[in-house]
Amino acid sequence: MNALWLALWFHRLPVEVFEASEEPAVTTVQHCVVSGNQAADELGITAGMRLSGALGIAPDLRIHERSLARETTTMEGLACWLGNFSPHVSVSSPDFLLLLEIGGCLRLFNGLKTLCKRLSDGVQAQGFSIHMAVAPTPMAAQWFARAGQKGCLQPEHLKSYLAVLPVEVMSLSSAERSVLASFGIRFMHELMALPRAGIARRLGVDFSQRLDQALGETPDFRTPFVFPETFLQKLELPAKVESSSMLLFATRRLLASLSGWLAARSSGINECTLWLTHERQPPTRLILAFSGATRDVERMERVTRERLAHFEIPAPVTDIALEVKESVELPGQTAGLFAESSAGSLEPVIERLRARLGQEAIHGISVREDYRPECATRYVAAAREKFLRSGPPRPFWLLPKPLPIQEREGRLFHEGLLERVAGPERIESGWWDGSLMDRQAGSDASPAVARGGSGIADVRRDYYVAFHEDGRWLWIFRDTEGWWLHGLFA
Amino acid sequence: MPVQLADLLQRSDVWQGNQLAAPEGGIVSSGFALLDAQLPGGGWPRGVLIELLVASPGGGEVSFLLPALRQLDATAPFAVVAPPAKVHAPAWASHFPLRQLLQVDAKGEEVPWCVELLLGCGALGAVLAWLPSNLGVKALRRLQLAVEGRRTLAFMFRPLSCARNSSPAPYRLAVRGGRVGLQVEIFKRRGPPCEQTLVLPVERPVPWGRLAPHESSPYPRSGTKAHLTVVSK
Repeated sequence: MNALWLALWFHRLPVEVFEASEEPAVTTVQHCVVSGNQAADELGITAGMRLSGALGIAPDLRIHERSLARETTTMEGLACWLGNFSPHVSVSSPDFLLLLEIGGCLRLFNGLKTLCKRLSDGVQAQGFSIHMAVAPTPMAAQWFARAGQKGCLQPEHLKSYLAVLPVEVMSLSSAERSVLASFGIRFMHELMALPRAGIARRLGVDFSQRLDQALGETPDFRTPFVFPETFLQKLELPAKVESSSMLLFATRRLLASLSGWLAARSSGINECTLWLTHERQPPTRLILAFSGATRDVERMERVTRERLAHFEIPAPVTDIALEVKESVELPGQTAGLFAESSAGSLEPVIERLRARLGQEAIHGISVREDYRPECATRYVAAAREKFLRSGPPRPFWLLPKPLPIQEREGRLFHEGLLERVAGPERIESGWWDGSLMDRQAGSDASPAVARGGSGIADVRRDYYVAFHEDGRWLWIFRDTEGWWLHGLFA
Repeated sequence: MPVQLADLLQRSDVWQGNQLAAPEGGIVSSGFALLDAQLPGGGWPRGVLIELLVASPGGGEVSFLLPALRQLDATAPFAVVAPPAKVHAPAWASHFPLRQLLQVDAKGEEVPWCVELLLGCGALGAVLAWLPSNLGVKALRRLQLAVEGRRTLAFMFRPLSCARNSSPAPYRLAVRGGRVGLQVEIFKRRGPPCEQTLVLPVERPVPWGRLAPHESSPYPRSGTKAHLTVVSK
């Protein structure tokens, strides 16, 4: 297996750390343009231009003072995200390059083409623009990316592909640039034609070593990116944000790097915390909970979207942060030998439902050992297997509150005539819940409501199965207050 | 290329007016021979919207589905969406392992949204949903599209008053509780119209036949206890 390096050059990073907008925007240092976005490029605003000149071209230009701190954290976040693709990630911070060893993971991603597609889609979703290139050596990959070329796969072709690149791709220092200019050298093939010893003498050993490393003649060791032990990433928002859709876009960057961080550690999370920092208010804490351990970025995004859509942002948000307290081991899945299609999974659906309807809206049910019907059902997150011993008949539906039944001349009426067909079954239980009943009675003035209505305290009832003349089967009971309709045999 | 009529008739989505269609996604027996004979393929079809029109809950419309639900794979859970009253666990536990049951509480507009997601994921054995009475044709069609090609049994409960409105559901049945058994009328199926009303012995809290005949006054002869009460007065 040959080593293959993929270089990603985030050539607009200084401006894209601030915003990903269609409007022309630039980053400046001391009134000099450092980098502009695509819209600015199209207007002819280039790096090195004076800010006054740029404003002359585009009066409504958005200007950001360059922030090295932001660039560093963004590069770290992106390196984390690349953990999704390969464990060998290396960062070359000053020139916004990320290197990825992909020789070992091409099979996993069904070839280079799909891998590149996924990378560029992911980068686009996070609002960055890149140049991507592959080469057998990291240095060459880096140069191809800077030249905006795709690179080459075979080591034997490397020299001829490199030959046509301009020498600027080597990220030259000003001294090196002037020496090369004095030689009249503009392209790599001119440089490669010169004797190597002479180059080393005139331009330094370091320079000639870079050339050797690019050609694979000298080993090139890259310091691997060390994935942090805990995940806490902050993102300063370019402007105060009040809408949840804007917030979702910003969160997407954090979620992407979270998923890569998890992949590199082969773990997943059950929940994470999203912190929203406001200007003059304590930060808001949003917990994103998943129904099972995951590191799937789409799943995390869906939950975030539903969560944010039903959340009222209390005040404009200035910063957001994503924090993981606890991660659990989640090994990757072995791909099938044949293209087996897996059945849909329920968990992501449950998460979406919970995110929109609330955590309690989706639940399993379980039986509690209590004779009182109101207390026999318990809502649980996940029910365990439990068969009930066969016993007297029980209805599928229980009314939230028993409804009164009228008794006239020994006959029972509730929207029609009732006929008792089985019973009675005496249920007498719950005397120990007396305090509970007092509280219930206290809140509800009428004792009839406390007993027949909520009835979760001491009960003494005779239950019957009744047949309603309209064809319904009902569960009714009599207590000291009279007759009550309590359940439906659906 | 000319298509032979005979070949065309072999297709599962084409049937002749006087025959019953053969459902594509497989079937689950309803547990009632009388009903199976009237359902295309001999049972409830998977991956098809089945509308059950119920006059008022309590006639036995859930017990009606028990035989089919019991046949489902124990690993495939089923969802109860927006039930008409509180779920009473002991009753359900006497029929299934409760592990299989998932309850979704939703209201109004959210019900069709939930049902669409649950049907679309394909991981559920069955979905029992109580749809709001004002649900439009468009929403129903979305549900039918969501479940198509899945292995889920999709039972949609709607009020009987919806029977007059048209519906994209391929199966529509009216279900009424009764003195001698559950009365089932098939309004719509993939086949010729069904004119007979089926009377099915669904599971009831008391054995069938314990009910007094309709003509006589039911009260004094119902239960022994009731009888005693009357005498003591």
